[in-house]
Amino acid sequence: MSDWKENLHKTRYVMDVLLLFSFMLISAPQSTGIAAHEWLSLFFVVPLVIHLLLHWDWIKKSFLRLFTRIQGKERFSIIWNYLLYLLMLTVFVSGFLVSVALLPALNIDLNIQGFWSKIHHDSATLIMPMLGVHLALYWSWIVKLSKQMLKKKVQV
Amino acid sequence: MKYLKNSWQSRTFTVLLVSIVVSVLLVTLEQTQWAEQINQQGYSHSGGGDGQRNISTILMYVLPFVKEFILIGIPLGLALLVMKLITGLKFLVSRNKKG
Ligand code: HEM
Ligand code: HEM
Repeated sequence: MSDWKENLHKTRYVMDVLLLFSFMLISAPQSTGIAAHEWLSLFFVVPLVIHLLLHWDWIKKSFLRLFTRIQGKERFSIIWNYLLYLLMLTVFVSGFLVSVALLPALNIDLNIQGFWSKIHHDSATLIMPMLGVHLALYWSWIVKLSKQMLKKKVQV
Repeated sequence: MKYLKNSWQSRTFTVLLVSIVVSVLLVTLEQTQWAEQINQQGYSHSGGGDGQRNISTILMYVLPFVKEFILIGIPLGLALLVMKLITGLKFLVSRNKKG
């Protein structure tokens, strides 16, 4: 377990677990309270950016790969990841535009529109099944890495 | 960590810059007819209407997470099933071709 920082896949694994946990926490504002929801969502940017930084090669190559002969599954996941990114931004943007704690605390007044409330609710609900499929696409990796991480723990 | 530190400043800057540009584009959605229509109708939470659900305090904290597990887990399972089916079909097709 202690060598996870030296291994790209293990680094990704630890960061992915963190990402999933924080995602699940901020997706339950009824449990955390709205104020905590808003501040936690703001900090959620950090694990999210880390997730993207750890896949920099993918970011650089994915678009051009769409125009080459690749397997159907890879084509699907590239498009799916783009959609997931767009939807995630939609959740963020609409979240800020319906903020009742964070923006007022920063002395920013806004007039909350029904439209953005609906978009925030709908996109935040839709992103859960989208994340489910995102995880399914990398399921064999998740299983493999989980086994590796557990094995290491027993040895230490 | 060493993978993360790889020119992270310029990369983070790029990710944030692209995200902010796309976000600004998203905000313009509020100028559409679609947004206007929803604003005129007014939006209220469909679930909160009755406001008199008698559930215990613990459930109130747990249910949102149950909802997440279901909304993430079921599509996850379905997607795995579909992928297994496609792999199986491909296998069958290739076996039939061979003979
Ligand atoms: C919100 C929670 C998210 C979780 C829990 C999550 C989890 C994962 C996992 C477990 C993997 C496979 C393992 C790995 O290589 O790290 C992965 C891969 C990936 N994810 Fe996410 N992800 C999330 C959101 C996103 C978002 C919003 C994007 C935006 C584009 C994204 C883009 C990617 C990419 C590009 C890959 C690698 C694809 C490849 O190498 O083929 N993820 N994610
Ligand atoms: C990835 C980021 C986010 C996710 C996954 C998320 C998810 C959610 C969910 C699931 C709800 C409950 C909606 C409902 O059942 O109606 C909600 C409500 C809310 N969120 Fe977010 N949110 C995010 C970011 C933000 C941000 C950045 C803010 C503000 C700064 C925000 C402000 C709010 C507010 C004020 C509500 C309550 C209003 C309402 O229920 O319509 N959210 N969010």
